[in-house]
Amino acid sequence: MCSACGYPAAPGHWTDAGSPTAHDRLRSRMRRARLLQNILPNYGLKAYDGGEIPGIQIMTMTGSQTILRDLDEVWALAEKVSGGPVDPLDPRFAGEE
Amino acid sequence: MSPAEEGRIRLTILGGYLGSGKTTWLRHQLHEGAFAGAHVIVNEAAETPVDDALLGAASSLSVLAGGCVCCAARQDLIDLLRRIADERSRVEGSARISQIVLETSGLADPGPIVEAIRSDPVLVYHVVVGEVIVAVDALHGLSQLESEPLGRRQVEVADRLILTKVDEADEARLKTLMATLAAINPGAAMSGAARGVTHALPDATGTPPAALPDLSGSAAKPPIRPVRLHLDDSIDWTAFTVWLSALLHARGDDVVRVKGVVRTPAGRLLLQTVRRVVQSPEILPEQGDTREDNMIVVIGRGYSEKQLKRSLAYFAGKDDNTMAR
Repeated sequence: MCSACGYPAAPGHWTDAGSPTAHDRLRSRMRRARLLQNILPNYGLKAYDGGEIPGIQIMTMTGSQTILRDLDEVWALAEKVSGGPVDPLDPRFAGEE
Repeated sequence: MSPAEEGRIRLTILGGYLGSGKTTWLRHQLHEGAFAGAHVIVNEAAETPVDDALLGAASSLSVLAGGCVCCAARQDLIDLLRRIADERSRVEGSARISQIVLETSGLADPGPIVEAIRSDPVLVYHVVVGEVIVAVDALHGLSQLESEPLGRRQVEVADRLILTKVDEADEARLKTLMATLAAINPGAAMSGAARGVTHALPDATGTPPAALPDLSGSAAKPPIRPVRLHLDDSIDWTAFTVWLSALLHARGDDVVRVKGVVRTPAGRLLLQTVRRVVQSPEILPEQGDTREDNMIVVIGRGYSEKQLKRSLAYFAGKDDNTMAR
């Protein structure tokens, strides 16, 4: 759209669009880390976000740590570490057909 | 226009692959005053219409949802056009609509639509197909032409090709796409657009077209289908984005398009993806038809509705309900 014919776009990474206030953002970040913690251990990673620093903290099982900006970076790292993408349609998440 | 065509309603068909930017282009054209006084028909393959929310500038609008007008919903389109023609014939003078713009679903082949209108004994006297405009995504166009027979058929029937998202495309790739389009359909006029606004195209003279593989026979993939997902109260925006970002990362080639309006603390967000590209969600006003909120359409192949639902529920941590939301 041009600046006149569309609706305003939410700023920032698209995954942050649902959190209008700082409070919402913090709550969303903590929930996101808990949700990632349900998935990532299957791929040899752990997620943590205490809200102290910007970004998602990701740890490998050997203890090395990195801070990632957004979920795109998390999935790219998980793919690199485990040799294949985190596929939500994997039978362990989606069941058999 | 020959004398016999005068008085008939001019129909412009706007086609193009899923997520190619049809609605964005049309929205800007209407905003600029093009297609003045046109009746706009929007067709969506899924039962959840989204595009109509964006086309507020149209003077009158009909939505044909729940089937593609080139196949399953063809009769619905014929019925609608007959009704429009019938109503128009009772009105005198300048109040008569002079044109219709049909925005097809991204899964539609415009060819059979033209065929159906031309072979209808009533419509042939009321409607004349003026122009077939096809939007081609400058970012994904080449890969669609390489892998999707439908993408090629859409280009083949176009009178005018609009290359969209030109500002984001790599110039060398854009030139190859232009040369490939010119090889498939040498007669079509080509122009560029970025978010609906006209954008200059580079000179592709001398660029060789891409060699397109034969897609008949064993190379044919299963058809692309829409699946509707309802986001119930247990699925908040955060959980949904964790799931969707992973899904697009892993399956972006098969999950061709995702769209829908999601209710969040930030308001009604219009979410749209094309393959792995996610648009910044637009914040929609609270007015309008909100009945289809939290209904997401996932268009693609290689999965079942059941798998999508179970996977989303798993990612939303439905088993750890002790967590505060």
